[in-house]
Amino acid sequence: MGIRMTYIYSLFQYIPFIAEGVLWTASLVLGGLGIGFIIGLPLAIAQSFGGKKLGKVLNAYVWFFRGTPLLVLLSLFYWAIFPSFGFKLDPLKTSILVLGMRSGAYQSQIFKDSIKSVDYGQILAAKAIGMTQRKLILYIVLPQALRISIPAWSNEYAVILKDSAICFALGVMEILTRVRYVSTATGLALIPYLFAGILFFVLTFSGTGIMDFIHKRTRIPGMVEGLR
Amino acid sequence: MIVLRAEDVWKRYDDTIVLRGVSLNLKKGETKVIMGPSGAGKTTFLKCLNLLVKPDKGRIWIDGEEITSPKADITRLRQKIGFVFQELNLFHHLTAIGNVMIGLTKVKGMSKSDALKKAKETLKRVHIEEELWRKYPAQLSGGQKQRVAIARALAMDPIVMLYDEPTSALDPGLSSEVLLVIKELSERGITSLIVTHEMGFAYEVADEIVVMNRGRIIGGGSPEELRNAKNDEVRNLLNKWNGLKDGVLV
Repeated sequence: MGIRMTYIYSLFQYIPFIAEGVLWTASLVLGGLGIGFIIGLPLAIAQSFGGKKLGKVLNAYVWFFRGTPLLVLLSLFYWAIFPSFGFKLDPLKTSILVLGMRSGAYQSQIFKDSIKSVDYGQILAAKAIGMTQRKLILYIVLPQALRISIPAWSNEYAVILKDSAICFALGVMEILTRVRYVSTATGLALIPYLFAGILFFVLTFSGTGIMDFIHKRTRIPGMVEGLR
Repeated sequence: MIVLRAEDVWKRYDDTIVLRGVSLNLKKGETKVIMGPSGAGKTTFLKCLNLLVKPDKGRIWIDGEEITSPKADITRLRQKIGFVFQELNLFHHLTAIGNVMIGLTKVKGMSKSDALKKAKETLKRVHIEEELWRKYPAQLSGGQKQRVAIARALAMDPIVMLYDEPTSALDPGLSSEVLLVIKELSERGITSLIVTHEMGFAYEVADEIVVMNRGRIIGGGSPEELRNAKNDEVRNLLNKWNGLKDGVLV
């Protein structure tokens, strides 16, 4: 029992080590979401307004990233694709890029659905006052579509946060990788993994809470309800 | 002076021919009303005039410039045509005044302060009270929404206003406030082409009424001429709408 308690006390010294993992996880999530947004939004616009042929080509990208397990994608890009193009990226950068490309495929579907829910009558009205396609996308469609997509986007945050744990496979020093290290070092499993679970829960809860706050602040009377 | 001219306009959707060689001229300051049963092609024809629907055949001129020409600057020419839809197509994310301003700032390139001034003037013109200017479409009644839509089109200083059944989505009580605005604008010399089922309104406001059926114009004339129409097809349609016998309007 005494030895056990010693191990538990020794866990405290690992708290800063695990807490640093939160920063790595945050880098994976924010980087992945950011790259996903940069890829997903133009993809959704192109799929919605770019015609059928372009839509089919872009669908291939979407289906590749949606249909391939994350672990396979991480391995494929880290061991094969990036090196074959001469890029020697470290595990963190590779993971952020892969999470981003994959999230881009998912986010494109979120934005595409939101764009679709802006009724066509408004697009006709924008054309009728002389707006070009670029302007009507920018000033009529996107301000509404982005607001509508906040709840689904918040869900994507929670998904990518949980998926980030898979990056331990490449040795990225995120929360799970560090907790596994601590577990091995101390011989304890329950407390370190419980701690990891709590950290992920807090990150999920606080992140989606912020998104809910943004959603409420940007809500326009009758708009979302009217479009659903 | 003719400000809008359509010549031999045809449109087909799959196997259905919706427009069969429709031609029409609209003179400056004139108010013309298009009437006809559902499926006559009225809305399609109106949408062809600013190329919201592309005609299969035929030519259309706005203010002397051919909008159907492959070289036409369609977005510039559309600014010369105000279009009011039956479906109350306001932009949901913008307030009433925002709906009127957006075309002025983003299409006409006006400064925000000039656009605001113009939007206020135009909203007053269609009798939208100041307390409604900052309301979103969902907070407005159907009649108010349609008047904001008229203001949005009117603020762009079009040379012609097209109204596509502007009261068909409204309760009868709300229709009158919209019709009153259209009538006022028409009396002030705004060139207008109106598709409507409101027969009393049509007779009151129109310089000329055009009757469409099955994708073609089957008759027309001044309200007085139409009251005494000799064409059987026109008379039958008028009787049907009026519920009156012998096409006599009271």
